[in-house]
Amino acid sequence: MKEQTGEVVQGTLDMLIMKTLALEPMHGYGIAQRIEQISKGVFRVNAGSLFVALQRLERGGLIRSEWKVSENNRRAKYYLLSERGRKRLSTETREWGRQVAAIARILEA
Amino acid sequence: MSLIRSLAAGLRSLFRREQVDRELDEELTGFLEMATEEKIKSGMSREAARREVRLEMGSPEVAKEIVGAAGWESLVERSWQDLRFAARMLRKNPSFTIVAVLTLALGIAANTTVLSWISATLLNPIPGVAHTSDLVTVARGDHSDHPTPPFSYPDLRDLSERTQTFSGLLGYHDDYMSLTGVAKPERIYGALTTANYFGLLGVHPILGRAFLPEEGTPPGGAPVVVIGYSVWQNHFAGDPKIVGKTIQINRHPYTVVGVAPRDFTGCAPGLRAELWIPVSMDRDVWGFNRPAYRRTFWLNVLGKLRPGVTKNQAEAELNLLMQGIAERFPEDHRDSPNEISLDPLWRSPFGINDYLYKILPMLLGLAGVLLLLACANVASLLLVRSVGRRREIAIRLGMGASRQQIIRQFLIESLLLGLLGGTAAIAITVWTSRSLVDFFPPNTLPLTHNAHIDQRVLFVTITVSILAAIIFGILPALRSSSLPVQSVLKEEATSVSLTLHKGRLLSGLVVAQISLSLVLLVCAGLFTRSLQKAQQSDPGFDASHLLLASYELSPAGYTRATSVAFNRRVLERLSALPGVESVTLADFSPLSFSIHTDYLQIEGYVPQPHERMEISRAIVGPNYFRTLRTSVISGREFTAADTAESQLVAVVNQAFVDRYFPGEDALGKQVTDGGDRYTVVGVARNAKYRLLTYPAEPVIYLPIYQAYRFTQDTTIHLRTTGDPLTMASSVEETIHQLNPELPLFNVNPLSVTMQLGTLFGRVAATFAGSFGLLAMLLAAVGVYGVVAYTTRQRTREIGIRMALGAEKGGIYRFVLGQGFRLTLAGLVVGTVLGLAFTRLLKAQLFGVSETDAITFASVGLLLAVVALLACHIPARRATRVDPMVALRYE
Repeated sequence: MKEQTGEVVQGTLDMLIMKTLALEPMHGYGIAQRIEQISKGVFRVNAGSLFVALQRLERGGLIRSEWKVSENNRRAKYYLLSERGRKRLSTETREWGRQVAAIARILEA
Repeated sequence: MSLIRSLAAGLRSLFRREQVDRELDEELTGFLEMATEEKIKSGMSREAARREVRLEMGSPEVAKEIVGAAGWESLVERSWQDLRFAARMLRKNPSFTIVAVLTLALGIAANTTVLSWISATLLNPIPGVAHTSDLVTVARGDHSDHPTPPFSYPDLRDLSERTQTFSGLLGYHDDYMSLTGVAKPERIYGALTTANYFGLLGVHPILGRAFLPEEGTPPGGAPVVVIGYSVWQNHFAGDPKIVGKTIQINRHPYTVVGVAPRDFTGCAPGLRAELWIPVSMDRDVWGFNRPAYRRTFWLNVLGKLRPGVTKNQAEAELNLLMQGIAERFPEDHRDSPNEISLDPLWRSPFGINDYLYKILPMLLGLAGVLLLLACANVASLLLVRSVGRRREIAIRLGMGASRQQIIRQFLIESLLLGLLGGTAAIAITVWTSRSLVDFFPPNTLPLTHNAHIDQRVLFVTITVSILAAIIFGILPALRSSSLPVQSVLKEEATSVSLTLHKGRLLSGLVVAQISLSLVLLVCAGLFTRSLQKAQQSDPGFDASHLLLASYELSPAGYTRATSVAFNRRVLERLSALPGVESVTLADFSPLSFSIHTDYLQIEGYVPQPHERMEISRAIVGPNYFRTLRTSVISGREFTAADTAESQLVAVVNQAFVDRYFPGEDALGKQVTDGGDRYTVVGVARNAKYRLLTYPAEPVIYLPIYQAYRFTQDTTIHLRTTGDPLTMASSVEETIHQLNPELPLFNVNPLSVTMQLGTLFGRVAATFAGSFGLLAMLLAAVGVYGVVAYTTRQRTREIGIRMALGAEKGGIYRFVLGQGFRLTLAGLVVGTVLGLAFTRLLKAQLFGVSETDAITFASVGLLLAVVALLACHIPARRATRVDPMVALRYE
């Protein structure tokens, strides 16, 4: 359990997943990879926490899922951002920006 | 919205577990394969890639577990697993399970039984009327358990017209009526009621209608009747066209206007009325015209409070109104108290609740103590058992189970035990709830007993089972989950320190059991001694060899004159029977709640303002005192020569003299009853006619040929030389020779019917007694279990002691002493608790103090002996320990 908190800043995984899905629908592995790539390897997503987050988001109605055939001909569950998710992402992004700026100000003071 | 979605998804994974699992499996596998392929693309071998992914991502099984455990449904599922596990554990150890469930069942059943009675009587005072919270009884004078009907019709009418706090006041007068003109004439308890009776109670006849205002308002009125459901079924075969037909009551024709609902039996709690007639029909049924008189107090009154009005406001208002009435008609209100007191129906002074509300809550308290004791007992069983399971628990803790999980597991087991106990308790209660009936001897009262398990009882049973489970389960659960895992798993040698640790809690539980059972046994002892004292007390008459038999002349068509003649002939014929020592008549019988009262004026006695001059009045035949063996202290008793033509005479009892003629000669004094002046010609010893536990109260006796009121039952009192019951048939024959159609009822020995006078004492003694015995048994089992267990734990220690040369006697005393110390502590705590508890019983005890030293001492001794016997078995076993075996054992 210790590993997963070290990977992604606590509480931000949902936001990162939603941001990833905002670009295009994606399966679980794709999401993990995309987060790793974009963060240039800073964040690594553990499968356990990823699927818990996906389940939570889906139950919250922020994302939807459907089984599709992937680029390399494999059946995979694709996740896509719902309208609610899109709204939630924009408020969370704004909130996150505010917080980061505030923290930065405190650290620089 | 998201809550519903989460719920739906949760339910889906609960009920379509397999499909959800499969999808998750597929998704995870896909994830891992994609990751592996990615690695292969970057040049790794398949094997190396697999290993790498596994290292990076963790095992797919763990991931699956984590995902699976995240939703709420997994808690339900884990609980379900715990429940199945608990059931398995209980099945694995059936003797423990049976003892625990039985203990709980008895503890819970004691509570639910008393509760079912409370629910049926105090909480449901008028069956068939759902909302009784805004109904109050209206009585005059201080609260009394034998109120005569307190209002006259004109007073009630005036109060009803003026009151602002009540939405209505209803009046009724209960009495027996005779249903005549049917195949089998029957004496049926019924009521004369005001026209608003059914409307105010909110009772709607299932056929026809209730009374119309013009039918029930004196001086007008119509001969109409509402019949009870069982009368309709039993006498008219449930005739659907009964409404409009004419039936006969006391030989007068009445038109049936309605049939009451099945469960409605009038509004005096515990009494069953089945015929209702408007008050205006008094003349027809009883030959009086009571509604016309302001000083004839004969109506019981119930009021329905207006919304938002409190009982105190209403009481204040009625008192004010009553004062006004008393001032306007001083002549009619001089002899009686005019203060008004209101009571909620659960302690209605009319009916049986007035007695029950004093004893049932007390029994519930005792049952509560018994349940606590049962909980302590089961807790100690669980604790002992949990020690045997500490390896299992240590393994589970070692495998990563959290403390909460262990506690949850234990609590679920307790809950299962509690609910099993509750279920068994309901099964027991089905039978015991009806047992209240068994305490009633044959009697002339129209008592109903409708105790059964209702929703309220069921709900409380379940709640109590769960609460009990938490009470007895929480301590063992907390204790068991805090194990030093390493040492338990390493070796069993730690058991000594564990025993000491648990020992304190176990000892505490044993002390609790002993002390609680002492409390219950003391209560049982006090009630039993109180009942014995009551039964052994001198009632002032000799009940042996006395046969009673009752008849009622007025419904059979007798007038005052013909009934006097009939009674004379009855006495002549019966006294001539062989085997009859003497015979008399009376309008009541002792200790069966049948004595009447009258308002008296007594020469030379000035009542306090509004003192209740309502005094017990017995109408008796010649030779009454000789037949009952109640001695006449001075003057004479009644003879056949005391007739309507001779001087009006009375006999009073000693309590009457002490109260109203203190220090004077009572003979020759005048007492006025209902306008007639009687001269006291005799003083009799005190005799108890209401309850044996009440102090003797003043009684006036009037001769039957002078004061005979033929509306009331006449009861033959026959003193026989042999067994009174053998005379029953010849008495019946004799009466039927005089009148073949006159029904004779309640033919019973006085010694049987007077059991009603100790009814509540017997209920209390029986229940407290069985609670006490049960408590003793539980405590004995508890002491035995704990001492046996700790002795077993110390087998090695005992072995060492013996190897070092300890005597067998020393070992025996060592084990016994351990049990004895606990018992002693329990007795001390129990005595303190008992002294606090028995103070609550004071009012219910007769002839025995609530701190009765004999009871406390003998109960303490009894418990000590029982506890030592319980310790004896393990102590004996300890002396047989073979040191070699014991030392090798662990």
